[in-house]
This record gives sequence, C-alpha cells and structure tokens, in this order.
Amino acid sequence: MSVFRRALAVAAVCAVLLPLSACGSGDDSGGSTDASGKVEGDITFQTWNLRANFKDYFEGVIAEFEKKYPDTHVKWIDQPAEGYADKISADAAGGTLPDVVNVSPDLVAPLAKAGLALDLDKAAAKYKKEYLAGAWASHRIPGMTGTYAFPWYLNTGPLFYNKSLFKEAGLDPDQPPKTYDDLFADALRMAKESDGKVATLANVPTIEDFGRYGVELMNKEGTAFAFNDAKGVKLLTKYKELYDAKALDPQALTATPESSGKKFLTEAVAMNPGSALDLDNFKKQAPNLYKNIGITDQITSTGHVNMYVMGVMVNSKTKHTPASVAFAHFVTDAEHQMSFAKKVAIFPSTAGSLDDPYFTKEDGTDETRVRIAAAKSLKNAVNYTPVLFSEQMKTALRNEVAKALQGKESPKAALDNAVKQCDTLLQQQG
Amino acid sequence: MRAVRTRELVLRYVLLLAVLALTAGPFLWQLSTSLKGPTEDIFSSPPKFLPSHPTLHNYERVADTIPVWDYALNSLKVATANVVTNCVGSALAGYALARLRYRGRRVTTLVFVLAMLVPVEGIIIAQFTTMRELGLNNTLIGVVLPGSIGAMNVLLMRNAFLNLPYEIEEAAYVDGANAWQRFLRIALPSVRGTVAVVAIFAFMGAWDDFLWPLIVLSDPSKFTLTIGLNYLHGTFANDERLVAAGTVIAVAPLIALFACLQRYFFRGVGEGAVKG
Amino acid sequence: MVSSTVTGVRRAESVGRVRRVRRQLPTSPWLFAAPGLLITGAFILYPFVSTLVNAFTDRRTLIPGEFVGLANFRELLHDDMFWIGLRNSTLYVLGVVPALVILPLLLALLVQKNIPGITFFRSAFYTPVVASIVVVGLIWVWLLDERGLINSLLETVGIGRVGFLSDQWLLLLSAMAVTVWKGLGYYMIIYLAALANVPRELHEAAAVDGAGAVRRFLTVTVPAVRSTMALVGALSSVAAFKVFSEVYLMAGPSGGPAGEDTTLVMLVQRTGTGLTGRVGYASAISVVVFVVTVALMLLVLRTDRRGES
Repeated sequence: MSVFRRALAVAAVCAVLLPLSACGSGDDSGGSTDASGKVEGDITFQTWNLRANFKDYFEGVIAEFEKKYPDTHVKWIDQPAEGYADKISADAAGGTLPDVVNVSPDLVAPLAKAGLALDLDKAAAKYKKEYLAGAWASHRIPGMTGTYAFPWYLNTGPLFYNKSLFKEAGLDPDQPPKTYDDLFADALRMAKESDGKVATLANVPTIEDFGRYGVELMNKEGTAFAFNDAKGVKLLTKYKELYDAKALDPQALTATPESSGKKFLTEAVAMNPGSALDLDNFKKQAPNLYKNIGITDQITSTGHVNMYVMGVMVNSKTKHTPASVAFAHFVTDAEHQMSFAKKVAIFPSTAGSLDDPYFTKEDGTDETRVRIAAAKSLKNAVNYTPVLFSEQMKTALRNEVAKALQGKESPKAALDNAVKQCDTLLQQQG
Repeated sequence: MRAVRTRELVLRYVLLLAVLALTAGPFLWQLSTSLKGPTEDIFSSPPKFLPSHPTLHNYERVADTIPVWDYALNSLKVATANVVTNCVGSALAGYALARLRYRGRRVTTLVFVLAMLVPVEGIIIAQFTTMRELGLNNTLIGVVLPGSIGAMNVLLMRNAFLNLPYEIEEAAYVDGANAWQRFLRIALPSVRGTVAVVAIFAFMGAWDDFLWPLIVLSDPSKFTLTIGLNYLHGTFANDERLVAAGTVIAVAPLIALFACLQRYFFRGVGEGAVKG
Repeated sequence: MVSSTVTGVRRAESVGRVRRVRRQLPTSPWLFAAPGLLITGAFILYPFVSTLVNAFTDRRTLIPGEFVGLANFRELLHDDMFWIGLRNSTLYVLGVVPALVILPLLLALLVQKNIPGITFFRSAFYTPVVASIVVVGLIWVWLLDERGLINSLLETVGIGRVGFLSDQWLLLLSAMAVTVWKGLGYYMIIYLAALANVPRELHEAAAVDGAGAVRRFLTVTVPAVRSTMALVGALSSVAAFKVFSEVYLMAGPSGGPAGEDTTLVMLVQRTGTGLTGRVGYASAISVVVFVVTVALMLLVLRTDRRGES
C-alpha cells in the first residue's frame, strides 16, 4: 500500500471520528453572580472523602436545608481520598463541575483563575463577618481581587512523641522540644545515644516547615518565591546535619504520611505529626506504644502553628446561584460547623466557635486535652501553605531538598534551584 | 532409571514449592494481617505469621464503612460487560485481520498496533471530554467503552486465527459457507483457548481499574469496588487491618473466578496452540 | 506481537494467491473490523491525536493553549528530570526484559509436565497476574519496609537490614523485581501455549542422542519457541518502557529520593495532571514515549527477522 493511500485511510478515519467531539464545546452558558434571588432548584454538592464516616451527618444537614427551602433538592456526592485533583480537573475541563464543591485553597486558585469559582466578596459579602478573618482570607488569591470559597473546617495537628525513646536517650520525657532549635538539639542527642538506630523525625522539611521556622515564603506581591533567603538556607543546613547523623530517618527522602506513621508505630522514629484521631488509631494498632505516647504542640519558631483550611466553593457556572450560595453558607455556618466538629477532630472556622466550652473545658481524657490545646493554638495559627503552591511545586521543592540532604548540592544551591523552578511554574500557571 | 525419575520428580516438587512460596506467600501474609484482631500488635518484630486470635471482625467493619456489596455488584456488571464486548469485538476484528482479504487490512492492523503503544496516562482527560460529549459520563457504559475492545486482545485473537490451518476453512468454503458462517462454525470454536485468555484479561482489567472509573463516575451509587475500597484510606485515619481486609475482598473474587476457570483456561491455551 | 504479525501476514498473502477466486461481499471484512476500529479510534487514537496537537501548544488543564512550535521539545532537552526519566525507563527495559523472556520460559518447562497437583501450581503461579497493581504495590511496600517481613528475615540470617525503599537504585531494582514477579505467570502462559507446539519427537530424538537437559533446552526448546521469545520480548519491552504504577507506588509520587527514580510516564502524569497541569509539555513527553516504543518494536522485529534468515 502506498504512503499516499495510507494517509488517505487515516484521514478518512479521522473524518469519521472528529465530528464526535467537535460538538458540545460551546455550551458555556454562564450562571449569574447574583445570589439574591429565590433559593430554588436542584444542586449537587461534592465532598472529599467524608462519606465513609459521616454519612448520617451530611444526610441530616441536607434534609434540614431542603426543609428550610422546600423548592430545593440537594444531591450529595462524595469522592474518595485518592485522585481528587484529577477528578476535579476532568470535571472542570469537561464542564461537569458540581454546583457546590469541597476544596482546599490550592485547588481554588486555578479554578478561580479559570473563572470557575464564584467571587463571594460580590455574591455573599453579607456572610463575611460570620467567619474568622484569617479563615475568610485564606481563599483569596494573590494577583486577583475577591474571595473564592467559604472557609469550612480547620485542622491543626498536635505532635506525638514516644516518651520511652526520649527517656532512653536521657532526655526529659516531660519537656519535649518547642522550637526548631530545641528540636535539632534533642534529635542529635537521640541519634547519638541510640547509635543512629532511633531517628527523631521521619519527614524532610516542607514548605510549612520553612514557614514555621520564620522564612518569608513569597515576596509581598505574591509574584515570586523567596524561601531561598539566609534563614531558609540555615534551616536546610541544619536538616542536612540531622540527616547525616541519622537523626532524620534515612528513609525520609521517600517517606509518605503513611510510611512515617508506620515508622512511629514501629518505634523507629520518636516524633510524628498527627491529629486527635490518630490516638484512637494508636490504641488499636500498637497498644504497647500507646502507653508511652506524649502529646505536644507543633514545633514552631514563630509562635504560630500551621493550620490547614478546607473550603466550600460555588461553581460560577451554576444554574442556581442563590441556592448554591445558600447551601454553601448553610454547611459552613457556625451551627453546622460546630455540630460537625463534635463528630470528628476538626475545628470550626466561624467567629466565636472556638470559645465554646467544648474547646475550652477539660474532662480528663487525652482526646479532650488534645482538642483544647489545638483550639487554643488555632486562635493565632497561620495557613503557611501559599495558595499558589501547586502539587508540581511541592515535588520540585521536595526533590531539591533531597539533593541537599544527599550532599549532591549545597543547601543554598538547592533552594535557589527550587525557587527558580517554582517561579517558572508560577508564571506558567498564567 | 527409576531412581533418576524419582530424584527428578522430587527436584521438580521442591522447585514448584519454592516458586509457590514466592508467588502466593505475599497474599497469604496480607490475609493473615486481615484476620488479626484489634488487640494484636501487627507491627511486632519478629513478625507473627499466624494471627493468634483469628477474627472476621475487620471484614464486618469494611462492610459497615462502605456499601461493599453494591460496589461489588457494579464491578461485576462492568467486568462482565467488558468480557462480552472484548470477546466478541476482538474475535470479529481478529478474524478480519487474519483471515479476510480486503483493501486496507494492513492499515487496520497498524491502527491496532499503534493503539497498543499509546501511553494511556497522557490521554485520560481527552478521553473524558469525548465521553462527556457523547453524554456518557457518570454511566457504567462510559466506564466500559474505552477498554471494551482492547487493541492487545484484537492482536491476540488475530494471532490465534493465523495459527489455524487454512485447510479446515477451505473445506467449508468449498461447501459454500460465507465469511460469517466460517467464522462462527469453524474458526471461533477452534480458538476457544485464546477467547478464555481474552475473557480473563478483560475481567481483570475492568475489575482492577481505578483512575478511569473514578474520573467518569460522579454518583457514589455507581462506584465500582476499587473506588469504594479507596475510602478505607481515610483522610482522618488509616488502619492496616482494614486495608488488608479490603485488599483481600478485592483479590478474592478474581482468584476464585480464576480457580473455577483455570482447567478450561489452561487446556484451552494448550489446545489453541497444538493446532497451530 | 509484531514478529508473528509479520510472518503471519506473509503467510496469509501466499495462501491468498491460491484462493484468488474467492468471492466476498465487499462490506463484510469492514463489518467484522468495524466495532474494534470504532472503539479504538474514538477512545484511544482520537485522544492521542489531540495529544499530538497539544504537544505543540502551551495548553494547561484549564487554559486553552496557543501554538508554540517546538518550544516544548526544546525545553525537554534542558530538563534534567526528562533525562532522568529517559534513563530510568531505558534501564527498566534492560533490567526487566531479559528476566521476563527467560524466567517464564523456565517456569513453563517446570509446569509443563503433567504430574499430580500441577494445575494447582499453575493457578497459584498465575495469581500475581490477577491481582490489581495497587494491591500488589501495597503488599510489596509492606513486605520490603525497613521493618517488614523481608528485612526481618534478612536480619535473622545475619545479612542485616537493607534499605530497599530508600536507596535510589535499590528502589528501582525492587520495582523491577515486582514487575517481574507480577509478569511471570502471564508470560508463562504464553510460553506454555508455544511449548505445546514443540513436537515431542524432537526431544526424544535429542535424548536418544544423549543430549543433557541443558543442551536439549538450548538446541531443541529455544529454537522451537524463538518467535514466541521475540513476542514476549516485544510485549515486555513496550510495557517496561511505559512503566508507571510499580515505581509510582513504591517510590512515591515524587519519584524516590530527589526524584531520581522518576520514569517518563510518571513525568507525564506529574507534569500534566491536576488543575495546574501543563498539558502541552506533558503531551510532548507522551510523544517521545510513543516514538521510543515504536522504535523498540521495530528493533525487536528486526532482530527477529535477522535471526530467521
């Protein structure tokens, strides 16, 4: 068969197939930004891995909302933990994004830039005062005006440590480290006393560690990264020292949250970040270890711990703007955040909620102690993760940090490279 | 002579057992973890191979956490549909490529070879967009369609048909049988073995897939088992025993299915080749 | 696949000459092939054509791209990660393919003879193929953990613990081992089918000549399954070059220490997916992967042909 005829055949195949997908890309009938109309219509609400444990809670909230607004119908869909960003990307690219979506700030940023997230400063300004100012601001995007999601639950983990390992190393099990300098000293001692068998940390420093160490992560305008300053280099240099002394676990370069949790459970690592829920997990999975667990605040040299913010955004293309905004507010209002917080170890982002006795009164159990400590530290916590810090940037930073720890690059060179890569990625985000 | 035979036989069994430990051992270790009770320390070292108080509690917990039967039913529907479409579609196409003479046969072969080489990870969003334009997103049909006639299976069938001696069909041709009749009555029954291979691959592929069903489906009531089991890796908690029980639930039906079909499968594989 | 494809086509042509008189409804061959062509065209080739187009744009997940010419390919040349990916995918082919061509053949010889209980063994050897790669990944990560089963055993016999999952090379090697482990049964079946073809008389004749097991293997078995070995070589090298899951699950999404275990397809996934994905750049990498796999097929095909003549 000649090349020409072959080409013709391929062209014929394409001609048959192309019309299939050429249609349907022009249906971008945008929704309105006016949320003041009648609350009615069928909307879809998507959460992120909450069905398995909180099915009854969400079905209750939805029933309550539908009772309050009889002309609405809310369809709840929940997505599993893995692949959430892929799922949202496909939906956003394909125009099938649900009306109300559970997001984190780093997911909101690209959606807002693509014009898919409703600006709540315009559509829902009246609710702004109900939330903690810092939480409301966490869904602002540098370089854009507006706020693109209601703040939902906050999370901050305590730090767990293994008291018996501390004791064996001659450290005071009741005086865990508070700042990074304390941590570095204790970790080196632990490594020395155990002959390199017990590491104190299981994870390489992340962008949040740089934040809590006091490094300026971005410039003031939010147009470029800046964590390669002297302070950033100092932190990484210190981590390199820990790595060489095996005070930072040798497998840290490939650690995942699961693997480092496992290391803590098998007592190969003395400290690990977690949440109040992990306590239950320890009780079940490693009863021997549970007796020796100490709980302390996150390590920080700035006086502020890090918090993670979950948000609820409204699809700007929704056909039922008033209902979607009303529902997003309904789920995140003080009453419902409070009742959610009582089901699971998360913290409300609504003003005043953290002063509830539930977050201030001890009852003698470990769970409550962890909860109260966390609520207290949350009051001045900072969301150190820059909104624009994408998955690709996390990988770039992680890989450069690893090169520095392995000694392939100096800490300074590694951070310079990481900043350069992140800046390039930032510009390409458009 | 007899001594040599016995020694050879013993050596064979020793080798077989060694390979068995290597291939089946890891699954048994997972099974053992899933049967360990809440009070047993699963991270102890040295490891304990057998659970000291075996319990099915973890399996009950999986069923409490997710509607595991609904998900399994969806997986079964998807996998069964995938088996039917792949067996029928690739047998037809394979037959055309191997036995029918027409213009453009080489190009069609080339299309399937190229399709096999496409890195799927790079085209998943484009696949989703196409599916949405066909209005098939969030349907089980949408889950099945892209893999419903795998290029690899088409080529496997083609090879099987090529290995058949031409004489058999020649006789039928002389008797006046047309292409459909020759395909259905003569060629297809002779490649049962390869059809069994395609069936198993198709079932496995559909049953094990995670990313594509996740992207196509939005409605939790349509989720397949692999997506459902992912809920066991909670955002809030992670329990090794529960995950182990989940993996056993995911693998067990496949092993059971294979155990039932294996006699036919292996015999079929042999038969198909002997005739070549 | 390709090797036998080509010999097959040649054979069909020679037979076709004899049967030139055959009358056929002109539409019928196309009807046979239509369902397969339609599905493959719409869901594999068409999306791939758009990937080809995207490779010349700066398209991102949510931002339609503009034509940028060869910019993506020029960027590839200066991207360290791309070269690391190319190196690892190539090493993967070199490491995995010889093992997957030879070991399953030996395994097939082991289970070929019908001795009591053999069907049980055959099935058991096939189980790793049946299990999903995610499950397999979970199992092996747990087995190879620093305090996992394998390290406990190594310590008991006095070798000491090995950082299978922390060293860049051991990680790649472990992932290869898992690929081989999962692939053994699959290729064993293909060989079993081929071995059934080897006439018993050949073996018997060789045995009468006094040839030992090793010599019989080399002089009778290997030549008889030569084209199957080429098929296995082609299939496994394409799969190995496109490796994703095993390395992703064992080395993590960022590709092991400092990303040194990243493979090309992992790089496609990392750069191209998510809301901030660079679809254009990832597509350019996909195109490279595609071109190399085509070249690999052609290479195996040529060595097979040369061996034949």
